[in-house]
Amino acid sequence: MNLRILLVVIIGSTLFFQGCASKSTELNSSLSKQEVSTVNDPFEKVNRVVFSFNIIFDKIILRPIAVTYKAVVPGFVRNRITYSLNNLSMPITAVNNLLQGELRKAGVSTSRFIINSTVGLLGFFDPASSIGLVTETEDFGQTLSVWGVSSGPYVVLPFLGPSNPRDFAGLLSTSLLDPMYQIGGGSAPDSLRTYRLGTGAVDFRSQNVEILDDLQNNSIDYYAAVRSFYSQGRESQAASNLEIDSSEQENDIFDDFEIDESYVGPDIEITYD
Amino acid sequence: MTKIRFHIYILLLFCSFNFTAHSSNFLEEENFVTSFADSAISILSNDTISDSERTSSFTELVMSSIDLNLISKFVLSKAWKNASDEQKENYLIAFKDYFVSSYANKLDQYTGEKVDVIGSQEAGKYVIVESNIVREGTDTLKINLKWRLLNKNNQIKIIDLNIEGISLVIAQREEFQSFLANNDYDLDKLIEKIVSVSD
Repeated sequence: MNLRILLVVIIGSTLFFQGCASKSTELNSSLSKQEVSTVNDPFEKVNRVVFSFNIIFDKIILRPIAVTYKAVVPGFVRNRITYSLNNLSMPITAVNNLLQGELRKAGVSTSRFIINSTVGLLGFFDPASSIGLVTETEDFGQTLSVWGVSSGPYVVLPFLGPSNPRDFAGLLSTSLLDPMYQIGGGSAPDSLRTYRLGTGAVDFRSQNVEILDDLQNNSIDYYAAVRSFYSQGRESQAASNLEIDSSEQENDIFDDFEIDESYVGPDIEITYD
Repeated sequence: MTKIRFHIYILLLFCSFNFTAHSSNFLEEENFVTSFADSAISILSNDTISDSERTSSFTELVMSSIDLNLISKFVLSKAWKNASDEQKENYLIAFKDYFVSSYANKLDQYTGEKVDVIGSQEAGKYVIVESNIVREGTDTLKINLKWRLLNKNNQIKIIDLNIEGISLVIAQREEFQSFLANNDYDLDKLIEKIVSVSD
């Protein structure tokens, strides 16, 4: 019962935000004809503040842990951890596959979980992939997008980083929907949650140390770069779930661009210092 | 035991094995990506040259394989059309330096491993070649790369690299648009910022 109420609240609030979003887009387009941006970020000012906070948190806590993890733990072990996290996300993936009406994918996710948890030694190895059982992880945010809920405005959450109402709703309901949290009594679900959240964050961060350092150092606007990466990544996942070729959306953007030969510009010579 | 076997049987019924068919209609473009990736890897794994030699030959390879002029204009979007000739010139020079210092050196993270071309397709005036990089020490952890190529006068050039659904050129464009929006659409300020970041 509680679960149902929560779901209604979550979906309701997502739809509400969606309403706000489309209103604000109308507003934007009437206000600024100079630059029609595809970016939906009406809370940019607040987001930038939270973003700055997250950078500090990352700098003093997450990044040092990730760097140490990468330096101390051998690549072989780190890959096992990545596999085990992927395996733990298979039951919730299967639930979402079902909610998206993807029976075959649900079968693949479930089989992956059973095979990798047993033959694959608690998911630290991935024999399922070698027999062709390959699937992407799915979360409830992605299911909502299949159901036609649009992402709503971009939001930066403290500690958790880039999100939007749809994905945040997905994040909240994952705990309710995830079969992993329903099994076992006592502290079992709690320790699983801690393992996934903590290790998941370190695993993700350690895979992106150089990329994020680079991005931060070379960005004209780091906030906008991260926003673009997040939005594009989520949109392409949503597109693949709807079996739309994600490059289709991109094509529109690129086709918009006329190959302008009118101005050739200075002769671009490349010099190396 | 029979029950378990039954369950597994049912599960296997659900799965069809993933033999995804990929079309390969653009062999020339596919070969271009393969040879670009091979050259990149051979430069990056060459231990007989110094670090700076490695960087400069890698940069040279990247710069000769992309259409920088087109990328420069694309990422500036509408601001390009409103710019004066002087601004255009300053911008193109600044963006080239910025590109070399940020992207050309950044791309080595994606070409350190073997790049497997898995297919190609037409996309308007472009051709997209799809490839995978397999993460070191694994068989199945893959990074998906899509190369957007333009064949102009029988010369193939890279226009964009899409990593796991994220287009670098679109990201760059959104970054520039955001900077302009927060700085009164003043292109000179953007050029100044680009110069300061690449230094």
